[in-house]
Amino acid sequence: MSRKTYSALATAGLLALGLWIWNPPLIRANGEKHEEEAGGHAHVPAPLEYADAHVPPDVWTDAAMIARGKEIYAAKCAVCHGDTGDGKGPAGAALPLKPPDFRDKAGVAEMRDNYWFWRISEGGLVEPFKGKGSAMPPWKGELSARDRWAVMAYQHTFSGHQGPHVPWEHRESVVVGRDIFVMSCGQCHGAQGRGDGTVGATLAPRRAPQPRNFTSEEFKLRSTPSGQLPTTGDLFRTVTEGISGQGGALTFGLRNHRIMPSFRHMPEEQRLELLEYVKSLNPKFWERQEIKTVAIPPVPAVSGERMARGRQLYADAECLACHGERGRGDGPSAPTLRDGRDLPIAATDLTRSERFKNGARPEDVYRTLATGLAGTPMPSYADSLEPDQVWDLVFYVLSLSNDRRRSAEMPR
Amino acid sequence: MSRRWLMSVALAATAVGWLAVGPVEAVPAFARQYDLQCNVCHTRPPRLNRFGEQFHMMGFQIPSAACPQGLVGSIKEDGPVKTLIDSLALRIVGGLFEYSESPRETETKFEPPHEVELFITRPITPDVSIYVELEYEPKTIEFTRRRGFFEDEHHFGLGKEAFFMWNLGRLVGALGAPTMEMGGQTMIGRHGGFTMHGPMLMAGKIDPNTNFSYPTNRQMLEDTEVEVEEEEGEPGEVHRLPVVPYAFVSKFFGLFKNREDREPQLVTDQVMYNTTGTPGADFHAMINDVLLAQAGFLGENEGFNTYGMLRYDILDRREITFNVSALLNWGFGVVRAPDPDDHDHPGDTRLDRLRYGIAANVRWKALDVYGALIFDRLYGLPAELRREFDRTAAGLTLEVDYLVHEKVLLSTRFDQLWAGGLKDDKRDGTVLSLQAKFYPRQNIAFFVRDSVNLRSFVEDNALRSWRNQLFVGHRLGLLRRIPR
Repeated sequence: MSRKTYSALATAGLLALGLWIWNPPLIRANGEKHEEEAGGHAHVPAPLEYADAHVPPDVWTDAAMIARGKEIYAAKCAVCHGDTGDGKGPAGAALPLKPPDFRDKAGVAEMRDNYWFWRISEGGLVEPFKGKGSAMPPWKGELSARDRWAVMAYQHTFSGHQGPHVPWEHRESVVVGRDIFVMSCGQCHGAQGRGDGTVGATLAPRRAPQPRNFTSEEFKLRSTPSGQLPTTGDLFRTVTEGISGQGGALTFGLRNHRIMPSFRHMPEEQRLELLEYVKSLNPKFWERQEIKTVAIPPVPAVSGERMARGRQLYADAECLACHGERGRGDGPSAPTLRDGRDLPIAATDLTRSERFKNGARPEDVYRTLATGLAGTPMPSYADSLEPDQVWDLVFYVLSLSNDRRRSAEMPR
Repeated sequence: MSRRWLMSVALAATAVGWLAVGPVEAVPAFARQYDLQCNVCHTRPPRLNRFGEQFHMMGFQIPSAACPQGLVGSIKEDGPVKTLIDSLALRIVGGLFEYSESPRETETKFEPPHEVELFITRPITPDVSIYVELEYEPKTIEFTRRRGFFEDEHHFGLGKEAFFMWNLGRLVGALGAPTMEMGGQTMIGRHGGFTMHGPMLMAGKIDPNTNFSYPTNRQMLEDTEVEVEEEEGEPGEVHRLPVVPYAFVSKFFGLFKNREDREPQLVTDQVMYNTTGTPGADFHAMINDVLLAQAGFLGENEGFNTYGMLRYDILDRREITFNVSALLNWGFGVVRAPDPDDHDHPGDTRLDRLRYGIAANVRWKALDVYGALIFDRLYGLPAELRREFDRTAAGLTLEVDYLVHEKVLLSTRFDQLWAGGLKDDKRDGTVLSLQAKFYPRQNIAFFVRDSVNLRSFVEDNALRSWRNQLFVGHRLGLLRRIPR
């Protein structure tokens, strides 16, 4: 290849790249293009309090639910949204923010169920819709959750989609989260979220912890009872805080550093988008009927008696078998511990509270004791200890820590 | 001085160097800035894992999670002292080196600190980061016209790289390209469709090899040093060429870097990639998360390089990743041909160089295999030289790393050089290197390495004037961690 040929090839390549950047192929997806077409209806992620409001998949195709929804829609919604869901009801024309067109297949496909439920529940009283002049009434006081599902199921029929309105039917509803996941999470958690990215194998070779498999039911860090999936809030907390390094041979000099980064600088809206994608990898987030979280009573005052009881409980509940008498993670059973993947796992060194994966505030430790850590030998004590006993144990565990700052923050 | 004594001193110096920093938790700058363990980004330093590659590609920002206020935010959050200290990292490389020139002759060198490097690095804004490397070498090889090659003492200056990295996404967006926000970082394109991370501009004193499937400054077997012989009143000459990845070397015998200084271009001099850093500008972007495109300009001797590289991430599932890269590089007048009448002196003609090649990287669990095959061809050779000069050459480098234990990494590298250049001087080279690296901490490594010349011993050829090279050394990354 001569110098001239090379120069011509290089110039052509750079020009093609430039043109590609300037005029890339556009698709319809969550973003301003849709918002512009849909008259200001940006599909922002539902806030945390509605993030778990997923509709069971069978609701969308349940004839009885659709019939019930039709009745409610005709009575309460059609006046603005139109009889055919085209957004052109008689009262809708004068509204500053025009009702959306439910016949728009692409627009409906991008609309996640929890967003939809949130919109019906809160109407135009919340941002960003309030600022755009939405006149949508909040229906949460008037319609039960099942009635709101029924209305959604009926509205969904306008789009012509036959199956359930779930992310694995409409991947376009989670593309923003998917892009973030691929860039930030896939290297450890794997492209399909199965915890099989290449980083895990060298992060902790042949031992726990390994990156979470999002398609399984085992989530360590939860506020839900043992055996249940976490709430979106639990996942949000983990993404925001990251995960402290637990230890292991190579963390000798870096024990306080995280093994999972804190994404606290990622805008909250994008963290929620990310979690919508993560949940979409596991249909069980849609199949659970009711979410119960472990109630954490107010933090009581510490007393000598409480500490003494906690010390006794530490022995009686056999904490010392794994964590050791002094809490250093060197109990007699520690060398034999295995996790859910049959990998060796270290017992937490309770003298280093900054390493606690689930947080080191008293309420965090309470949560860990009450829920256990799924997929690890750490059991839940919710059934075997009374709340007051759990607090006794919490304060004893925290007293083992040599972290003065944490100790100073403990209420007295 | 006996070898055992030297070994004892080396180990003692290392131990003192380690213990002298006392209870410090010695971690590199980025680990402290982001409060992360080293092996979140590194298989084992300096080799990057997939997350580390993304981190580097995005200009030393956590992918999709740049601190919105950059340096100002860090100062507000952590205070100026912690911000400053977290921007610095120190690396000390040193050890004991032994060469076997022939079965009966050995030479041993002890270099307690072989090099000391201070890194100053930090994201300044969500779009801009800086990276500056200052280097002190107690002994280094220099060249002047009068003295030839000679060993210089106490060399201090800019190290391999000193550059800034700028995410141009926001700028390109302002000029009209469609953009989307990803955690404070601006991307080109649309979610679910065409996406482009970057383009990133890296400019300054650079070595743009990290995005290649064989990232030369991330290899586990480090480059060894050139050895020179100096005699009173005579210009110093190269006695032994270093063991380096032959795929990336200049590959030609008999060329010169410039006319003024008459400095020879050694056959093992690293060009384009794996250089000691040259002024240049590099643009790179990740397209649709699978295709990494790179293009840029680099100075080299009296000329300059233009290059383009594409990396295609073919597979990423079930603990396996596989990517391949293709490199195309044209060096405009980057080397000088020898004088046709006197091969010991540079002639009037500057030569162009076409370099092209492929590289690949496969990772499976604790196994990491990467290699590169690079071809070079020279253009513009004077007619008088054509019969006695081979203007094509090639190099192959293949490295395998295996993490046998959390603290032990075994590596082996095979280097093959099919050299070009003056037919009377040129010799091919084949080297096999083995290394065991022990990491008592993430930031500290001790290593034992042996390189074997698989070709015959040739006394008057610096590429093959050795049989065996044994190295015992250490790498330390130091600086105190200040809690947030």
